[in-house]
Amino acid sequence: MNPQDLIAQARAQQRTALDEQAGKLLLAAYGVAVPKTLTVKNADKVDAAFSQLRAPVVVKIMSQDILHKSDAGGVKVGLQSAAEVKDAINAMAASPKIKGARIDGYLIEEMAPAGQEIVVGGVRDPDFGPLVMVGLGGIFVEVLADVSFRICPITRIDAQEMIEDLKGAAILDGARGRKTVSRAAIIDVLLKVGGENGLLMQHAGDLTEADINPLIVSESGAVAVDARFILGQA
Amino acid sequence: MNKNNILEEFTPLFEPKTVAVIGASAKGGALPNHFIRRIREFGFTGEIYPIHPSAPEIDGLTAYKTLADTPLPVDYAYIAVAGAQIPAMLEAVKEKKPGHVRFAQVISSGFGEVDEGKDLQQQLVVAARAGGMRLIGPNCLGIFTPRGGVTFAEVGPQPAGSVGVVSQSGGLGTDIVRRGLARGVKFSGLITVGNCADVVPAELVEYYFADAQTKVVGMYIESAKDGRRLFELLRSGKAAKPVVILKGGRTQQGLAAAASHTGSLAGDDRVWMALARQTGCVLVDTLDQFIDALLTFQSLTPKATQPTKKVTLFGNGGGTSVLATDYFARLGLDVTPFDAATIEPLAALKLPPGTSITNPVDCPVGTLQQDDGLVAEKILDIIFSNGKPDALVMHLNMSAFVGRTKPEVLDNLMAAALRVQQKYPGQAHFLLVLRSDGEPALEERKRAFRDKANALGVPVFDEMSNAGHALAALKAHEQFVFSRTGCA
Repeated sequence: MNPQDLIAQARAQQRTALDEQAGKLLLAAYGVAVPKTLTVKNADKVDAAFSQLRAPVVVKIMSQDILHKSDAGGVKVGLQSAAEVKDAINAMAASPKIKGARIDGYLIEEMAPAGQEIVVGGVRDPDFGPLVMVGLGGIFVEVLADVSFRICPITRIDAQEMIEDLKGAAILDGARGRKTVSRAAIIDVLLKVGGENGLLMQHAGDLTEADINPLIVSESGAVAVDARFILGQA
Repeated sequence: MNKNNILEEFTPLFEPKTVAVIGASAKGGALPNHFIRRIREFGFTGEIYPIHPSAPEIDGLTAYKTLADTPLPVDYAYIAVAGAQIPAMLEAVKEKKPGHVRFAQVISSGFGEVDEGKDLQQQLVVAARAGGMRLIGPNCLGIFTPRGGVTFAEVGPQPAGSVGVVSQSGGLGTDIVRRGLARGVKFSGLITVGNCADVVPAELVEYYFADAQTKVVGMYIESAKDGRRLFELLRSGKAAKPVVILKGGRTQQGLAAAASHTGSLAGDDRVWMALARQTGCVLVDTLDQFIDALLTFQSLTPKATQPTKKVTLFGNGGGTSVLATDYFARLGLDVTPFDAATIEPLAALKLPPGTSITNPVDCPVGTLQQDDGLVAEKILDIIFSNGKPDALVMHLNMSAFVGRTKPEVLDNLMAAALRVQQKYPGQAHFLLVLRSDGEPALEERKRAFRDKANALGVPVFDEMSNAGHALAALKAHEQFVFSRTGCA
């Protein structure tokens, strides 16, 4: 599906945001790596899907009624077999916080290799148009607000400087015995999202906010593990 | 817009041949009467047309009933009457051929800045459009344009210069003009734009970029109005001139109803910081920093091939030198000690004990009064030729000389400083800090020194911290150009 159709489809369904799968398809259309993902309606369809994926996998609930999947018990990670996936889905369907919700299905997704959690975001400023943001995941974003913004479209050097502006940037270089994190991979995602002809510029009329959180970045690459795109008034 | 078009469009605003004034009273005393007097004193040589419904003459000038009745087309109309009357006045020009009035600046308030005036502002915009003119304001104070002989501020005749300013606040615009002039800033123009109902700041910045007289652009902004346009202008190739932005209302608050992390973290402050990092414009926090930065860019030529790093401090006051070194370091300016090649010739001068010759070079009054102050010439010569700093800040605590030395010592120190910096043109940015204590006689001497220094293109500051911020602004601009052009 082309990117504009993904947005049109969400609008046709009266959604105010793209669902996770549509969000990842949108990212993939702009060349951002996303985990291999299949969706199933219910536990009966798991075997066929699981055989096409590389374990371990994660299962996530798909429901427009549930904003925070983890809080609702709608995410289960580290599943090694089709049986474990089925159990997880059955448990979710029966859990009190999920029972009453409209369930579109379940996402089964290959787990990204370990790495540093990064957040890449977007927001539409009323005066300046789309902005792109980068930050280190977890407490760096949530507690310290250690993020850096630029007005779209950004250039490669802008993307480099965005990362340098982060107070925690040294963590990317392997501080305290950690593995180094590929800055080139982050820059590449920032350009695909916030650069000339990037996702935020191309859909400036539709998207008001975006969170790619987390983007898992290793020594060699970056994978968008979760993404949220908020649609403005059509 | 291409360069010639923008110049053609806005030149009548900055160099009007005809000025119409609405709101002057036949009895005198109203703000527009002061405006007429001010521009006559300022040296305006074109036609002034007071507009008045009944008076035949105002302030000795023939008055006309409406803007449409003036003998020649009006380049610039200054309008300060009750807001509700104005739309009809602008629309009255409709019958004349388009362009009969080029610019109307509406001083009056009570428009979009208050809820009940929003409709009236819309009517004003529609009327200006119908009348075929561009609208500046409303809710502003006017334009200060030495080259055009027009001023809204109470100042005597002033030479034209190279600093172009757009201010969204009228009152602050007055401060920038008056304080700036007192500091030696010379303007290519300053325009107050208030609510920006029609002409937006970005258009005026584009004019200043195209204008050959303007070397540096300053903006006081509360809301960008057309931020996207400003961003695109600043990142375009037209933006080779330094831009200094004083931004009011830089809130850190994110979107009120954010549905994402990103939305909750985005605030006005972040956007303007982003703008600065992406376009090389310099953000400042206070009026003093704004004027200091404009003065600096007016006086010193940025070196994009060698961004400022190494700074030398030279002057009297040990504590002052230490504090300044710390402060400069916090601003990212490097005041590191000299190497032997500079220290040895300084040591050979055999300056009295208590003199520090590393960097900062700290010379008590007792040292500086040697040879009646001419010793400074030798010290500066060595700093320039051997120390080779990117910037040299010379500071004199004038208070410390009072009652200790002959008056000519300070004169000689000043003369020595100005002479030496001319001997090494373009080698190092030279900044002068003249510190005083407010004592009237000292202030008088300081003013005379400042004028002398300004005339030679040396910017003068009141305190070390001011010079530090100015130098940091210069460095930020230099580094941006360096990083984007790959100059090496």
